[in-house]
Amino acid sequence: MGLLSSVFKKNDQQKPADVAKAEITKKEVKPVVDKITVGHVHMSGCTGCLVSLADNYGGLLTILDKYADLVYGLTLADVRHIPKMDVALVEGSVCINDKLSVEEIKQTREKAAIVVAVGGCASYGNITRFCRGGQQNQPQHEAFLPIGDLIKVDVYIPGCAPTPQLIRNVCIMAYLLLKGSPEQKALATNYLKPLMMAAQKGTSACFCDLMTEVIDQGLCMGCGSCAAACPVRAITHEYGKPQGTRDLCIKCGACYNQCPRSWFSFDVVPEYESIMELIDTVMK
Amino acid sequence: MSKVVEISPTTRHEGHSKLVLKVNDAGIIETGNWCSITPVRGVERLAVGKTMEQVPKIASRVCGICPIAHTLAGIESMEASIGCEIPQDAYLLRVILQLANRLHSHALHDILILPDLYIPGTDTKINPFTPEEPVRSVAKRIQRLREIGQTIGQIAGGEAVHPSNPRIGGMYKACTPRAKAKMYDLAKEGLVLAHQQMDFMIAVIRNFHKRDWAEVGGKKIAIPKDLGFHNQGYMATHPFYGSTSLDECPTWDYDRFKEVRPWDWYMGEMEVDLADPSYPIGGTSPVGTKVNPQMEACTGIPMYDGQPVEVGPRARLAVFKGYDEKGTQGQNIAREMEYTDSLYAMLNALDEYDPSGPVLADEIPCGDGSMGWSANEAPRGTDVHLARVKDNKVLWYSMLVPTTWNFATCSAALTGAPWQLAEIVVRGYDPCVSCATHMIVIDEDNKLVAQKLIQ
Amino acid sequence: MGAELGKYKSCVSARSTDKAILAGAQDGGIVTTLFAYALEEGIIDGAIVAGPGDMPWKPRPMIATTYEELMAARGTKYNISPNVSFIKEATRSYGLDKVGIVGTPCQMQAVRKGQLYPIGLRDVSDKIALAVGIFCMENFPYQSIVQLAEDHAAMKLESVKKMEIGKGKFTFMSERGAVVPLPLKVTHKYEQPGCHVCLDYVANLADVSCGSVGSPDGWSTVFVRSKKGDDIWAKSVAAGCFETKAIDSVKPGLELVTKLANEKIGKNQKTVEERKTFGVGKGLRIPYI
Ligand SMILES: Cc1cc2nc3c(=O)[nH]c(=O)nc-3n(C[C@H](O)[C@H](O)[C@H](O)COP(=O)(O)OP(=O)(O)OC[C@H]3O[C@@H](n4cnc5c(N)ncnc54)[C@H](O)[C@@H]3O)c2cc1C
Ligand code: SF4
Ligand code: SF4
Ligand code: SF4
Ligand code: SF4
Repeated sequence: MGLLSSVFKKNDQQKPADVAKAEITKKEVKPVVDKITVGHVHMSGCTGCLVSLADNYGGLLTILDKYADLVYGLTLADVRHIPKMDVALVEGSVCINDKLSVEEIKQTREKAAIVVAVGGCASYGNITRFCRGGQQNQPQHEAFLPIGDLIKVDVYIPGCAPTPQLIRNVCIMAYLLLKGSPEQKALATNYLKPLMMAAQKGTSACFCDLMTEVIDQGLCMGCGSCAAACPVRAITHEYGKPQGTRDLCIKCGACYNQCPRSWFSFDVVPEYESIMELIDTVMK
Repeated sequence: MSKVVEISPTTRHEGHSKLVLKVNDAGIIETGNWCSITPVRGVERLAVGKTMEQVPKIASRVCGICPIAHTLAGIESMEASIGCEIPQDAYLLRVILQLANRLHSHALHDILILPDLYIPGTDTKINPFTPEEPVRSVAKRIQRLREIGQTIGQIAGGEAVHPSNPRIGGMYKACTPRAKAKMYDLAKEGLVLAHQQMDFMIAVIRNFHKRDWAEVGGKKIAIPKDLGFHNQGYMATHPFYGSTSLDECPTWDYDRFKEVRPWDWYMGEMEVDLADPSYPIGGTSPVGTKVNPQMEACTGIPMYDGQPVEVGPRARLAVFKGYDEKGTQGQNIAREMEYTDSLYAMLNALDEYDPSGPVLADEIPCGDGSMGWSANEAPRGTDVHLARVKDNKVLWYSMLVPTTWNFATCSAALTGAPWQLAEIVVRGYDPCVSCATHMIVIDEDNKLVAQKLIQ
Repeated sequence: MGAELGKYKSCVSARSTDKAILAGAQDGGIVTTLFAYALEEGIIDGAIVAGPGDMPWKPRPMIATTYEELMAARGTKYNISPNVSFIKEATRSYGLDKVGIVGTPCQMQAVRKGQLYPIGLRDVSDKIALAVGIFCMENFPYQSIVQLAEDHAAMKLESVKKMEIGKGKFTFMSERGAVVPLPLKVTHKYEQPGCHVCLDYVANLADVSCGSVGSPDGWSTVFVRSKKGDDIWAKSVAAGCFETKAIDSVKPGLELVTKLANEKIGKNQKTVEERKTFGVGKGLRIPYI
């Protein structure tokens, strides 16, 4: 499962089959040849991720006009049951004490060629990591897991809320991957790779990751990206180095993933000018 | 002979909910139960023992459409508990943030209800995403209004979705004169668009309610003139902001509030015996499906003076401006009328805001466990948070969110409507179900719900 | 042109024509002059610079929106100024739409990663109007600067007027005229460990990057890299902000820049490799993918 696993060499042979499958999926749902089909699956999230998608403003209309048909999304569309789709944007974590939620996430994996965990909750649990159950009227709802603990996830878009721009970029790259020329496919593959590696890395992230995987590893150089990224102002810099107020951290994973010393791609980032131009052009 | 029909899940609103409707032979709802089926994340429970600074950040994340209300009500309930007064300029930034959120949220609601409405003079429903005119211009205007709201909120509040700037005791950062000027310019631009958008929406809403029928799943369904009427009362605490003090605002009095269990309010076990596979899109639940709103999936029922009440735009206009238009039409129009009001109020707050004033209280007490509450007028209604804070830690926390207030009221408003129009009545409340989930009951038998949804 | 100098459109030796700026600038006053020009022309609304902090020689990132504020932030502080930490706030409570930022090569990497992968940086990508990079061999924790000044150079940190790394020395100059050059082999132990995996010397990802190396004293070597940088640099030169000389007309010229870049990258590449087998059957993390 998972179209994007083909990007990793060891799974190379999967690629052609899965691409073919994605084509069929699209035709079944809507006969627009050059668009991909995208759905928004709402698990235990707050809809802030969806708001972020919508916060591409005019750009959302452009995406829907040219690149993607929104085939599912209870908040924006009338479709009641999860259809087949190329890309599922999943928001929220899964309450494993709620059968419906568990069913829906499994369905999503079966029906979507590419599963994207959108936001901190889907990727890392975020605030639902703190859930304890015991509340009226549903005391048994106590265990919530990021979707990657239940299904294989292809791409992560961390952050709480994730940014409209990263959601847009991933949608465009998914489009180029599925419909683009060979060069565009290669670019999309390179671009998505770090976000796929994030998905492979695991389902937990918080300020502690900066400590254990960057600072404790002697990699921090004090750029300040982590503090800028934190959505709850939990990080300050003391003598140039990040200091986290762990009592504020909501476990969204933004700081860790924004840090240039958590992951950095020399294939992609130095090409920032042309990639940003490309995105501007396709969004026109 | 009455029959039972179930629409699950409902669409074009935030979160997961469903409708269980008892209808007569003509398909008119005799009793309607609208209930949430989103898992309970239990923010009230997980808050206990956490710091008063962190809890509002978590509370913000129960809802991404009115996170501002949850942040502000959360923070202000803590401030009320510890007895902390915030500087005036911090308050003004909160007001600006609040109104910016309202602008974006109301505009989003327009996108959600447009597919129910018709282009005046035609039998064509409006698809807000079509590239065709005149709809495309409307969609662009809606998105620009949202952009204006989100951008102003982002400047005053730090983040567009979950604001990062508000904190116990005021705000982290004051806005510079440049930031103030930028917000002012955006609000001015918004005002022009808001007038146009309000006029457009009121016209298409009125047009819908003047029609004799609406098409649902290929059938013509008669639109009753009293669609969505109910006789419950209204509750609102402020035209746009909120209150934490009974002296200042006597409308929300904790002692007049009581919450009862769904057991007293919803229908018991039944079987679906009316199904319509043509209902868009995916059909209603099949005949034979077991439903039990009383046990299965409902919120607690908050009561004010012993009755469920309506909260939201119409309630605000009714309480503060003598507005009296009833039903779904009145509700949707009231929401549109708040557009321009929120921008005028925002411009006033901006005029008053002094960029050089302090935004953080000199002293932030640690709390002695006293009860504090804050009622905040979220886009979709009064959001009341209650807290007890001692030594910086939260001892107890409760949230009475807008959609919870409206669940029971809306259920009452369903009576007399054709079941095919039930979702239109629900959407009139602009429901935001995720945040209501801390009140939900789903019984141990929720396997059934799962199967129904996933066929 | 080798990969060690990154992609660039042009390279010159340059110096500000503003004497007031030069009086307190580190080298040719490139950063301050370019920002002053961009502010004046409305190319940026403000710039994130390393302003004075709460202790001597301790920088604090700040948003300069006036010439005076830019002036206050001139000069190199050889310890960490987390300038990128302001990149989002600049667009929030400061209300900037066109942000300038100066930073070390690693900070330029952070800015570009943030633009391409804005994970926690909503609505920031398209607001970076001018990113000026400064060359960087290594940086130091604040305490290192304290010890270098007070122990090795025998100066109270308050009385240090200027610090400079060049010609193989870390030189401390005091208010009262003392000049103490420390050999770099003394300073190595004090370096920030994170710098030892750094693979960029001349801020390859900046719009315009500059440093002292390669140019005569009081002049800077300037690489013009992006379209944006090219445009702004050309305009600022045309406006008379800078005197320039062809880079191949000055001594020591690009040859030295190339040599130092290769030294840095080579040394650090080796450190990166060594991380893989750092322990027994266990390695350290490597961020590069
Ligand atoms: C840690 C460090 C190491 C350096 N190593 C080298 C080197 O090996 N070779 C070389 O040629 N040049 C190096 N430089 C660059 C050089 O010292 C000058 O900063 C550069 O030439 C710019 O000088 P200027 O006169 O054009 O700038 P000025 O007009 O003096 O402005 C300098 C700008 O840099 C900012 N700044 C100062 N300190 C910092 C800091 N710590 N972090 C981020 N921004 C800061 C200031 O706020 C100011 O805006 C280094 C700089 C730093 C900070
Ligand atoms: S990641 Fe944040 S915005 Fe997204 S669902 Fe979770 S809490 Fe909401
Ligand atoms: S420190 Fe901030 S950015 Fe990092 S995980 Fe926690 S909340 Fe997210
Ligand atoms: S983003 Fe990474 S490298 Fe930069 S200061 Fe934070 S931890 Fe250090
Ligand atoms: S050596 Fe590299 S990591 Fe260290 S401060 Fe300079 S650019 Fe940053």
